[in-house]
Amino acid sequence: MTEMRLLQSARGEHGRTVKQKRIEPIMKENMRENIQQNGQTAQCACPIISSNDFSFYYGTTMGVKNITMNINPCSVTAIIGPSGCGKSTFIRSINRMNDLIPGVRTEGKLVVDGQNIYDKRVNLVNLRQQVGMVFQKPNPFPKSIFDNVAYGPRLQGITNRTALDEIIGKSLKASALWEEMKDNLKKSALALSGGQQQRLCIARALATRPRVLLMDEPCSALDPLATGKIEDLISQLKDNYTIVIVTHNMQQAARVSEMTAFFCLGELIEYDVTSKIFENPFNKKTEDYITGRFG
Amino acid sequence: MPAAESHRPLVLTPTEDIRGFLTLHLGRTALFIVTCTSVLAVFLIFLFVIREALPFLAKFSIKEFLTSTSWYPEAVTPKFGSLAIIVGSGYVTIVSIIFAVPVGILAAVFLSDIVSMKIRNIIKPIIEILAAIPSGAFGFFAVLVLAPWMQQKFGFSTGTNALNASLVLAVMALPTIISVSEDSISAVGRELREASYGCGATRMETIFKVVIPAAHSGIIAAIVLGMMRAIGETMVVWMASGNATQIPQPWWDLSQSVRTLTATIAGDMGETEKGSPHYRALFAAGLLLLVITLCLNLVSEYFLIRAKKAGGKR
Amino acid sequence: MRPVIRIAIDKIFTVVAGASVVCLCLVLAGLLGPMLWRGGSAVVFKGTVEFRKMQLMLFGRGDEEKIAAESKQAEISRAKIYSTIEKLKGGVDSEALIDKARQIYRQFGNDLRQTDKPAEEVAELRLVTKQIRDRLESAFASSNTAEVNESLAYILSFKDDQRFKNTTAAGLIGLAEQYSKDVHGINLAERQKYYQELRQVEEILIELLGPAPGSATPALMMNRFGATRWDLAQKLFNRLFWYEEWVKQGPEQPLVRRLTPRSQRFAGTEIEGLFIYIQQSLPEMLKPRPTFYWQYFIDDSTPGHYFGGVGPEILGTLLLTLLAMLFVVPFGVISAAYLVECASDNLAIRIIRMSINTLAGVPSIVFGLFGLAFFVLFFLPMFGAPSKGCILAASLTLAVLTLPVMIRASEEAIRAVPQTYKEASLALGASRFRTFVKVTLPAALPGILTGIILSLSRVAGETAPVLFTGAVALGPLPKSIFDPTRTLSYGSYDMAVGDKLAAMVPHNQFGMVVTLVLLILCLNTAAIIIRSRVFRKLAGH
Repeated sequence: MTEMRLLQSARGEHGRTVKQKRIEPIMKENMRENIQQNGQTAQCACPIISSNDFSFYYGTTMGVKNITMNINPCSVTAIIGPSGCGKSTFIRSINRMNDLIPGVRTEGKLVVDGQNIYDKRVNLVNLRQQVGMVFQKPNPFPKSIFDNVAYGPRLQGITNRTALDEIIGKSLKASALWEEMKDNLKKSALALSGGQQQRLCIARALATRPRVLLMDEPCSALDPLATGKIEDLISQLKDNYTIVIVTHNMQQAARVSEMTAFFCLGELIEYDVTSKIFENPFNKKTEDYITGRFG
Repeated sequence: MPAAESHRPLVLTPTEDIRGFLTLHLGRTALFIVTCTSVLAVFLIFLFVIREALPFLAKFSIKEFLTSTSWYPEAVTPKFGSLAIIVGSGYVTIVSIIFAVPVGILAAVFLSDIVSMKIRNIIKPIIEILAAIPSGAFGFFAVLVLAPWMQQKFGFSTGTNALNASLVLAVMALPTIISVSEDSISAVGRELREASYGCGATRMETIFKVVIPAAHSGIIAAIVLGMMRAIGETMVVWMASGNATQIPQPWWDLSQSVRTLTATIAGDMGETEKGSPHYRALFAAGLLLLVITLCLNLVSEYFLIRAKKAGGKR
Repeated sequence: MRPVIRIAIDKIFTVVAGASVVCLCLVLAGLLGPMLWRGGSAVVFKGTVEFRKMQLMLFGRGDEEKIAAESKQAEISRAKIYSTIEKLKGGVDSEALIDKARQIYRQFGNDLRQTDKPAEEVAELRLVTKQIRDRLESAFASSNTAEVNESLAYILSFKDDQRFKNTTAAGLIGLAEQYSKDVHGINLAERQKYYQELRQVEEILIELLGPAPGSATPALMMNRFGATRWDLAQKLFNRLFWYEEWVKQGPEQPLVRRLTPRSQRFAGTEIEGLFIYIQQSLPEMLKPRPTFYWQYFIDDSTPGHYFGGVGPEILGTLLLTLLAMLFVVPFGVISAAYLVECASDNLAIRIIRMSINTLAGVPSIVFGLFGLAFFVLFFLPMFGAPSKGCILAASLTLAVLTLPVMIRASEEAIRAVPQTYKEASLALGASRFRTFVKVTLPAALPGILTGIILSLSRVAGETAPVLFTGAVALGPLPKSIFDPTRTLSYGSYDMAVGDKLAAMVPHNQFGMVVTLVLLILCLNTAAIIIRSRVFRKLAGH
């Protein structure tokens, strides 16, 4: 709570003035049509995350601009694009992790669960519990496995041992770590392998019972075997969670996601059903990127 | 596992909002106040040293204090001319720096440019240990080991003299000089060295013509920090310098005893009556010391910032 | 310049630079080596029976019966020395003999007054006895052998006189008899010289073996025991065995020390052989045994550190440092946390940073002045405490002194915590404060601990700031934090320059400073090890 106040003062005036610029480039127009034609499954009546002309600036440099996209609950959405295209910036905006960087500001709306999260009076603690995150490099705390997973529940005031045990059991089972770990929960998390560490981080995020799980290139630091396990995990989790995953690995995006967004130079170029994007992209740039002509 | 069992509103309730606002500002203010202890400490040090010294400065002439050499604090008409003492302080400091600087810079160059990482990792702790030895132990060594040895070996009239004090001070200043100048020498980029080697220079030529000029700010800062260590040192000079209020005659004769500001304060304070002119004069000496080190501190900081900027450019 | 010369110069430079580092290591070795070696002998040495007696008496340590038996054995072999000396003394100590003769005469006079003999007989007896006494006195005082013999012959002629049988006066004749035996073989001309020399021998013997049996217990503790250590005993024996004199070599030339065996100076007397006897039976008389005196670190000492250990000094140092840490750690860590987590680059922060740098540069003696002026003379009286140096004032002064060290170390440690830890915690919905307490602080703890240990070692070694604020060289154990205390650092200073007595026990001098150095080196080594482990952990992560 303390922190949120700070962040708001750091953000200053800009966040509140939502400028609805009506710049409609042709490309975007086309894209919208495209979605309307083909994306019947994609467009649900009540999206859990809805970005409306959202722009994000680091000081004067722009991170992402005018992003408009809706993400449905209990789906896997992949964000792909060349490096530096703003896909990480966008995903980190969804639970306001970017607020840590001094001098950032936003324009437009980013709505989670019906609430614009860049509103002044947003409860950041609840937002981040609602929207969990898994980072590029596995980052378990230098504590035991149990304490790592129990960190979130304890923050919510759950100190009862049996309740904790239950949550931790569930989270570890959900992240397919239970069988490997159940006997040595007291072991240091740093002693695990990279893939196990990353699954532990997912378990840790699940233990706070989020609705959305953001994954920022979760497999980039892992070997193919560990990557496979994480991908399996993602497809299991999508029944209960909304997953947004940033990846630079197109095969991975094709394997795990239902929807795919292609970002380039801070702009959303194309957003559609995954099979459509990979088989028959609407935009020339997307096609070039997917066929490996640039990026 | 069902997601989000409990309802967690994304909007703050007004109470949460106010509480968050208060804890943030109160917390930050409290932390800030605690952090200001250092400022308070510096302020109090100046305040109280000046407060105790002020009656002396008001009553006796500052000019005499700084320029006369007659220091007879306990006489019927006491005289407080501390020139000999100030000169003594400067004397041992400069001599010790003359001893310490060549060795220190050579050692720093050796550690940064000549030996492998492995040997460096062995020598660094040795230097740290040298820095950790308490000044009392150095003084003890100076009095009980070095002084008798000097007296026997060189036939000095006394073993506790300027040379003894300067040598020990030099050893004490060395760790500071080595570590600070090694940092700045290491910060000189590889490109500069490679450019010099590429022109066919030997290692020594590279070091003297390229590396040291490039790192000169840091080296000067190191020397100033070493001087600060030497001038502020109390126990060693008190025990090893002989404590004779005199300016060495001739000036290069290191075998004579001298007396420093720090040793005078340490030695006389126990015997003075609180509030007597002598007591106040000692606080004036302390104030002088404080001002000198403050100036040196500013100088060193100036050069350290310059060194950092130079390092950043590369 | 020719390349060959340039390369040669380069090689020389390398060697010189290497030499500077080697020289540094040598300095460290030369500094620590002798100190450790000589200081170590305060703990590990050959202790004599006198040491065990001292331990029993002062600290109640050891088996009483065993020690009594041991000292009895030692006493047996010592007995010969005392009897021999007593004998020579009978020959040369004229004053003591004359006193004895006069005493007997006086006693005899008293006896006579109470007898019922006729007055004339009493008067005659008195006259004769007076003559005997006078002759005896002249014999005692004379340095002429012939004269002495004549006087003694005169006195001994009364040996069979019935009048003196079974009276006190017979003692006079007995004295004469004994004396005639004692002076046999003594050059009476040198009586005075012998007397002087004998006094010297006796003095050294008291130092070596303790007070002679039967004499009164000395008032000073240090005189109650002989040499407690074998190395000290040997030093004393050398002083006993060799007579030291300073001889003039010629005009304008310094005196030269010359050693001659002391036995030469007693040539012809019975004592001549005594020195060889002492040399041979010294181990028997003192019974040296390897001793590990670990109690050195807990024992109190007798004044001047003549006997005993450095217990109170260690206690005082620990009290001071731990109390100082108690004050400085919260302030240091909180300041560092604020500087890392909350502070932006504004004027206030710049002033704070400058203050920290200034504080780090203030000479330690000025901290002493500040502690005196502020804590002792202003702060303590403000709360009604007596305005004198005490543990509280000293540790507060030390806390201010070490504040910058603590802040810098903690700041570095907190900065070194990877950003990913903080992000992970924040992403789980922890507030910033929670994140710091639960994640950043535990991860920075080893680094902060290193800082604490380094500050501890700095504080433990400082002397100048506690000079006027709470350290004393002598005194009882502190009862509260409002009492001054002895410290290792001040104690080493005091033993190095202050105390003449200390120079007589170099092992204790060095023992004190070595305890200090070892304490600090242990702390520093611990810090170095913790830090390298932390670095390895962070690097491997």
